[in-house]
Amino acid sequence: MQKYSIFNLVKNAFSNHQNWDLAWKDPTPKEEYDVVIIGGGGHGLATAYYLAKEHNITKVAIIEKGWIGGGNVGRNTTIIRSNYMHDENGLFSEFGMDLWRKMSQDLNYNVMFSPRGIINLAHSDAQMNAYARRGNSMRLNGIDAVLLNREQVKEIIPMADFSDNVRFPIFGGLMQPSAGTARHDAVAWGYARQADSMGVDIIQNCEVIGFDVNAGKIKGIRTSRGNIKAKKVGICVAGSTNILAEKLNMTLPIETHLLQACVSEPVKPVLDKVVTFGAGHFYVSQSDKGEMVMGGDLDGYNSYAQRGNLPTLQHVLTEGIAMMPFLSKLKMLRTWGGIMDMSMDGSPIIDKTHIEGLYLNCGWCYGGFKATPASGWTFAHTIAQDRVHELNAGYSLNRFSTGHLIDEKGLGTKTWIS
Amino acid sequence: MTQAFRIENGGLINRDKKLSFKFNGKTYFGYEGDTLASALLANGVHLVGRSFKYHRPRGFFGAGVDEPYAVVQLYRNGETEPNIKATEQELFEGLEAKSVNCWPSVNFDIGAINNFLKIFLPAGFYYKTFMWPKSFWYRIYEPFIRKAAGLGVASTKHDKERYEHKYEYCDLLIAGSGPSGLAGAYAAAKNGAKVILAEDKPRFGGSLLTSDVNIGNQSGKDWAEGIIAELKIMPNVVVKNRSQIFGYYDHNMLVMSEKVSDHLPSTKKYHPNKRLWYIRAKEVLISSGSIERPIVFGNNDTPGVMLSSAAKEYLKVYGVLVGRKPLVFTNNDSGYETAIEFKKHGVDPVVLDSRKNAESEIIDEARNLGINIKNSYVVVAAQGYKKVKSADIASISDDKKQLGKIENIECDCICVSGFWTPTIHLASQSGNKTKFKEEIDAFVPGQSKQNEITLGAANGVFSLDETIKTSFKAGSELSKKLTKKDNEIAIPNVVEKKSSQHDKFWCVPLPKGKNYKRFLDFQNDVAVSDVEIALREGYRSIEHVKRYTTLGMATDQGKTSNLNGLQLVSEIENKVVPAVGHTTFRPPYTPVSIGAIVGREVGKHSKPTRKSPMHSWHEKNNAVFVDAGVWLRPRYYKRGNENLFEASKREAKNVRTNVGVCDVTTLGKIDVKGPDAAELLNRVYTNAWLKLPVGKARYGVMLREDGIVMDDGTTTRISENHYHMTTTTAQAANVLSHLEYYLQLVWPELNVNVVSTTEQWAGAAIAGPKSRDLLQKLFPNSDVSNEGLPFMGYMEGDLFGVKARIFRISFSGELAYEVNVESDYGNFMWEKIIEVGEEFNIQPYGTEALSTLRIEMGHVAGSELDGRTIPYDNALEGLVSKKKDFIGKRSLQRSAFTAEDRQRLVGVVPLDKKTSIPEGSHLVKDDKAPLPNPKLGHISASCWSVEYDNPFSLAILKDGKNMIGEKLFAMSPLKNKVIPVEIVSSHYVDPKGERVRS
Amino acid sequence: MLYINCPHCGMRSQNEFSYGGDASVKRPEINKEVSDQEWDNFVYNRKSLRGKHLELWQHISGCRQWIKVERDTATHEIFRTFKADEEVA
Repeated sequence: MQKYSIFNLVKNAFSNHQNWDLAWKDPTPKEEYDVVIIGGGGHGLATAYYLAKEHNITKVAIIEKGWIGGGNVGRNTTIIRSNYMHDENGLFSEFGMDLWRKMSQDLNYNVMFSPRGIINLAHSDAQMNAYARRGNSMRLNGIDAVLLNREQVKEIIPMADFSDNVRFPIFGGLMQPSAGTARHDAVAWGYARQADSMGVDIIQNCEVIGFDVNAGKIKGIRTSRGNIKAKKVGICVAGSTNILAEKLNMTLPIETHLLQACVSEPVKPVLDKVVTFGAGHFYVSQSDKGEMVMGGDLDGYNSYAQRGNLPTLQHVLTEGIAMMPFLSKLKMLRTWGGIMDMSMDGSPIIDKTHIEGLYLNCGWCYGGFKATPASGWTFAHTIAQDRVHELNAGYSLNRFSTGHLIDEKGLGTKTWIS
Repeated sequence: MTQAFRIENGGLINRDKKLSFKFNGKTYFGYEGDTLASALLANGVHLVGRSFKYHRPRGFFGAGVDEPYAVVQLYRNGETEPNIKATEQELFEGLEAKSVNCWPSVNFDIGAINNFLKIFLPAGFYYKTFMWPKSFWYRIYEPFIRKAAGLGVASTKHDKERYEHKYEYCDLLIAGSGPSGLAGAYAAAKNGAKVILAEDKPRFGGSLLTSDVNIGNQSGKDWAEGIIAELKIMPNVVVKNRSQIFGYYDHNMLVMSEKVSDHLPSTKKYHPNKRLWYIRAKEVLISSGSIERPIVFGNNDTPGVMLSSAAKEYLKVYGVLVGRKPLVFTNNDSGYETAIEFKKHGVDPVVLDSRKNAESEIIDEARNLGINIKNSYVVVAAQGYKKVKSADIASISDDKKQLGKIENIECDCICVSGFWTPTIHLASQSGNKTKFKEEIDAFVPGQSKQNEITLGAANGVFSLDETIKTSFKAGSELSKKLTKKDNEIAIPNVVEKKSSQHDKFWCVPLPKGKNYKRFLDFQNDVAVSDVEIALREGYRSIEHVKRYTTLGMATDQGKTSNLNGLQLVSEIENKVVPAVGHTTFRPPYTPVSIGAIVGREVGKHSKPTRKSPMHSWHEKNNAVFVDAGVWLRPRYYKRGNENLFEASKREAKNVRTNVGVCDVTTLGKIDVKGPDAAELLNRVYTNAWLKLPVGKARYGVMLREDGIVMDDGTTTRISENHYHMTTTTAQAANVLSHLEYYLQLVWPELNVNVVSTTEQWAGAAIAGPKSRDLLQKLFPNSDVSNEGLPFMGYMEGDLFGVKARIFRISFSGELAYEVNVESDYGNFMWEKIIEVGEEFNIQPYGTEALSTLRIEMGHVAGSELDGRTIPYDNALEGLVSKKKDFIGKRSLQRSAFTAEDRQRLVGVVPLDKKTSIPEGSHLVKDDKAPLPNPKLGHISASCWSVEYDNPFSLAILKDGKNMIGEKLFAMSPLKNKVIPVEIVSSHYVDPKGERVRS
Repeated sequence: MLYINCPHCGMRSQNEFSYGGDASVKRPEINKEVSDQEWDNFVYNRKSLRGKHLELWQHISGCRQWIKVERDTATHEIFRTFKADEEVA
């Protein structure tokens, strides 16, 4: 594979960039694979990459209905963090942080991981205490966390509202300095390029229409481009999970919902942290292009529409201005929506299923992007070894039956309340 | 300075009103009715900015919303706003603007070094490099790139402007006041339909302002003015200029942003800056017209290269010549219209037409005027750096692949026309699956998805006659459906010049040996070569191309670049354009002010504030408030220099020794009435409710169906079929919906009604050993003795003439009562309690003291009922009935919930009896264990026990049942604290509960 | 913004309502033994269909009635609305 580097860039400049290789090929599906991963999003591509890299399984196909990276990996607000209270989430995500830190070099693709820090603002002492509980849990799990008082927050983000004309004054915040952002598309493309180079077939514009299951064992899948035999099949399709589950007669503890995000017009650097509002649902960071990247609440009803309505954004931006009044003078440039696989306790599922050889990776809610490497790594392990890794042992499908819930927000099953 | 490029007469500007303005520090003059763009062009200023990546000089490309370059920093009335399109900003006296994205100046921009490095900076170059050394991306490269990016500068000051919202309903909403919009509006209005006509520009009329046509024996412009004048006085019509419909949302909800004040030097008093309209329309007529698209050629971003329609608009609307030696480069007849306008004003243009032979009325007219026309000719490249100085032109072969000999001709502007792209954004946003129309090389709306119809140029119809006819018809039919009226109106006669077929040609090939940048997306510096690289590397889906190259992602949203990008991809991929498909159009059509989207809910008003009827008393008595949801509650009442800790300790201590009063109005209250009320409560709460006598209260816990505690509170049986339920402040609304859900959907057979009475009652908790004495004085006619009003008893009383409800319930663990009166008497009640209580040393207490009191009694509250705990965890399993079923009971059987070592509420005391344990600390066995250190539980609430005068905390601890007496460590790494602690019972004070019964 | 026909009040904008999830989920009868599977299906498992979806909304800032709405989750089109006790044919 061609190596990406400054030297190669210069070299190629003199041949007018005519000699760059394909980042990934466009193969026709083979008759059979050892592993078929359904879903060419970040998680699916990462799974294929780690199957090849960590487990030497390269007879792998990724089956993508549209184009790779077209789902939530290309529709998120690029935040990467491991600031979780529960051990299952914290340890899993921190494992992912390590993978993020070396991802650009590992993939030889600059994913622009930028550990600029995330601050969760608190607006009462009670909230400070709740954050302390989470932050202390992080620290005891070996994750960096700092509790900031009002003055410290003001020093870091003076443009937040520290005036008297404020409904919910800032009391302080919880910061994870090592959290940050990355270039989301690059993550998908970087994994795709490496997976491809190790022999993985990336098959785009190929829709799964059914499964072949015999005597409780997976045999293959049926697609819009023909039947494909497979020893093992991993499902990694986020918001489309329920659609595939229906084909398997499975009903899952998941609902599909729409989350919108938006960006402002680009402006010169003004904010170098990711900041979340504590008296509502709003978060913001500034991209390398200068756009303020903003998001918040779900639209609040089951949806597959990748199409949102303005009142939700109005609500989100209201909280945005409450947090950072200067946003008022900016203009909203672009909005988009992603469909989220909202699980009933807000945490994901990476597990085997009752069908032998069929594996499930879903329930990421709005936290899927940051999990991309850890999800791919543990899912690859689960598929390759046919058993869960200790990092994803808590993300079991049966935890809802046993009551071993991992509920970071304590909101329970009303997934539409974010 | 003179406006050297302003023609003597003509245009729609007000020449009687001269305005001065500043650009990059220099003073210029323009006229009322100018845009900043037209005024600058009138002064011969073309260089206004620098491009995003290469910092190439940029001028004006369009004359409106499609402008990709002319983005400036605006200064108005002491405030500054980034990224204002000069082509949209109306001129006002004293306007100031500056170029963006250049340093030190637009004339000499250091960043332009990128222009020389451009061969090293192809699309996606940053993915391929900046990876080593590992830590350099975040520390070195990224800050550098961040600084270089971004356009204007955001002011970090609070926005002083005001923004309003308006909700409207109408029969017919019309987007765009061109010929189609006017005709549709007029016909519908005449049928009595409620019409809203929206125009984003200051002037109505759209293309009629610049085209040379006749409608009903008048010029197009005069006809438009006549229609508008008539519409404006009709009561059923709202006509709005400066108003952009930017979003077509679900169920025919459209949103419009009206610029109320941006064209004025400052916003008038009581006026908003902008107004956002949410419009629910029964029918929508999209008459948004079309935008001219460029032809792509070398250095086509040089200042002085612009759309031919823009050049015509500057001339006809603003009386401004964009050049004195214009070169018109066209593949259709529109370029000729611009050339004719130049010629009419004494300027000699040269027309290059890519077509070999084209004949039409317009071309004839141009030829008759003596305009120099070169067929089969193209512009190969613009020459000049900060302004077009000349153009390399050449003849082109019929197959458009071969260029003839390159010639250089002098020119000072190049007006380019690559035909027209219908503005289909609103239709597409509505859900309309657009279709590609071969004849015009562009997408047009397909089958209507919602109640929308797209007409005129927006629908790919460029014949005015057809547009007028179909639009009159549509306006009349759509309105007839709604108003049942059919006032026939004569459709006016249209005279227009016929045009000939455009040339399917959009990009000039590179001449041999030349490597000109041919730009597709001007603001983001995306050139043909960038798209070629993306495709070469396998980024083949149009979404990949867009994301890899950033094509169409600039602030103009690709209005002039999208189709050319598609053409390029289709050519290289050898696919037809519709097979390539376009990326989805999403709102907003054009960037919208965030302030306008948010409206009035800013500052203190970003969320409502709820206050109890006693709020002003609290204020007067030095209460320090705390937010409890949207309520404000007194946290403590400050005396002298007391801090929170001292004040709350004093208040709590006074409750334990004398008597205190606390405002509990914020608790949720629900009236539960009906013959089956007891049955409902029995199903909702975990404990038994069927045998509660009238006049008695009971504490209850309710679960969610997943077994997690949802809320707790007391409910009192007021009379046979009437219960008064209380909820926590936070859960009040949820509990009401919860009850309604079960009553209406699950158990409709239960004859019960519920209604919120939170606002109806003001509540005061009177707690402490002397509370009964006080109560007796407040209600001298009632028997409030332990026998007359026992623990959990209820009675009605007369509080100095005011009917009151008296509950003997206690949260503090002391002998306590809660008195409720109708809200209007809340303050009266409170003042009486304070006045009468004086002899018992009464003190008001706030939530902090309340918290202390409940913690040392082991009563759970929000920090324990955190949405993750079951009754057992909160030591409430005694309230869980084994005999009957209730909401969530089935979930309690799950193995994790019944585990032997299940977490449970305990008390925690520091071994030194001195060190307060910070809330949010975790309990561990070994404070020195390697990380991750297993956590056994967490400190949910801490207080300074006023009973024992030492710190006390509550914790939820794994296997808490068997941990009493154990020694652990409370760790708060965030606060650098490790505190050796002992686990004790959660009932730290009065474990037998004797006081409440005393 | 959705436009919902409240069977009690008429056409109202979505912001007067709150969402209540899948209306096809039936709570097991009170006081009746149910299997783990039945209970999980009630509490957790959802079909979350793409396309026609019968769901609950409460007219929270209006008549406070829970209603059933048949809506397309892919297009947001609302086909019909029902009162709480109305049978959905």
